[in-house]
Amino acid sequence: MFTLENFLFLLQGVPNTLAISFLSFALGFALGIPTAIVKQFSPYGLGYVADAYISIMRGIPVLVIMLLFHFGMAGIIPMFKSAFLSATFALGLRSGAFQSQIFRGAINSVGRQQMMAATSLGMNRWQAFRYVILPQAFIVALPGLGSEIALLIKDSSYAFVLGVLELTKYSDIVRKATRSFLYPYLIAAILYILITFPVANYLDRLGSRLKTKYGLR
Amino acid sequence: MGEVVLACEGLKKRYGGLWVLKGIDFEIEKGQTKVIIGPSGSGKSTFLRLMGLLEPPTEGKIYFEGKDVYGSGLDLNMIRAKIGFVFQEPSLFRHLTALGNVKLGPKVVLKMKDDEAERKALEALKTVRLEEWSHHYPAQLSGGQQQRVGIARALAMDPDIILFDEPTASLDIELTWEVIDVMKDLARRGVTMLVVTHELGFAKEVADEILFMDDGRIIESGPPEELLKNPKTPRAREFLRRLIGGV
Repeated sequence: MFTLENFLFLLQGVPNTLAISFLSFALGFALGIPTAIVKQFSPYGLGYVADAYISIMRGIPVLVIMLLFHFGMAGIIPMFKSAFLSATFALGLRSGAFQSQIFRGAINSVGRQQMMAATSLGMNRWQAFRYVILPQAFIVALPGLGSEIALLIKDSSYAFVLGVLELTKYSDIVRKATRSFLYPYLIAAILYILITFPVANYLDRLGSRLKTKYGLR
Repeated sequence: MGEVVLACEGLKKRYGGLWVLKGIDFEIEKGQTKVIIGPSGSGKSTFLRLMGLLEPPTEGKIYFEGKDVYGSGLDLNMIRAKIGFVFQEPSLFRHLTALGNVKLGPKVVLKMKDDEAERKALEALKTVRLEEWSHHYPAQLSGGQQQRVGIARALAMDPDIILFDEPTASLDIELTWEVIDVMKDLARRGVTMLVVTHELGFAKEVADEILFMDDGRIIESGPPEELLKNPKTPRAREFLRRLIGGV
């Protein structure tokens, strides 16, 4: 029997799901912007480092990165003794690579004419980037960032394998305790939608509203 | 003789295998207005971009206030800050209001304090008669207003010269007038201007000299009344006949 009590119990997984998703998003943001900039300008010929990072993160399943961190590297990096941190960093590292691609596309969409106008005022490349290109690119990137958050919320469920007490783990506990095979996962599925939809949808709408306001493509 | 603000010698530009500029000598003195006309593809815009230091020449030299721009280890950005540029394409920063657009250069490049930059920007917007529109975003302005903000953005830097690359080419006739009026004002106030345009009324009224470009060269130049009435080269004659005849 699946009861209201089971439901409330299952809800306790939500905070960890949110924490993993949003922390990894923040980490990904902090990595993504510098990576996009390095790829764009390739200072000291460092562009290939950004390329390598992106290729590696695109090539490894995030679950494998988590397992590698938590079980393989906890001896070297003590932080990875924590399943929560291993999961968050694995997702954050991958998200940094993905977000850098989102920003790159957005930066390119802003266009040469804006860069030229900034240059004509005497701005150096960095100033032009900081004051003219990046603010516009950020608006263009919003819908992409919304999808990325949705992806992180869903993929935070892999943390279940490491034993993190998040939503999927809780639904599994309820399944075992109640022998109800359908409802725990069904409720989890609905909860995932309820979390992802507003966030992604908000960024989508915000993006289109600002794009219209500023006349961006 | 006034002081020469901007000049070039043997200026050439090649894109791939194509020579777009084939050797241009030019100079403009403080307070002068010079207008460049010529058929599309003649190299006018390329010439202007080179003089604005937005692209390097393939060959030849550019002098700003007597100094060889590319030859003496000068900070190009400091010179660009002294050369205003108004583009044909919409070039306002789309995420900033009119005021924000005009204020950004003084703040970031000239390192003015915020209130000082704002005063400077409002003054420039007043010159182009847009002070009431200062809090509008580019997308909320007409094409003519956008171009005037672009002019204000250049003005706020206190440039020694402003280059105009067909600023009215993509505007309706009425919007063209409002931009041209502002430009005439500037010319009368002694702003040094190099203008690519086909607005011959503007050229007649305020230009000290008209340059006719064709095939990557300045093939004829002279005061407006002379060049417009009595072009010497057949190419200029033909071009002006078509331009005025509207054929």
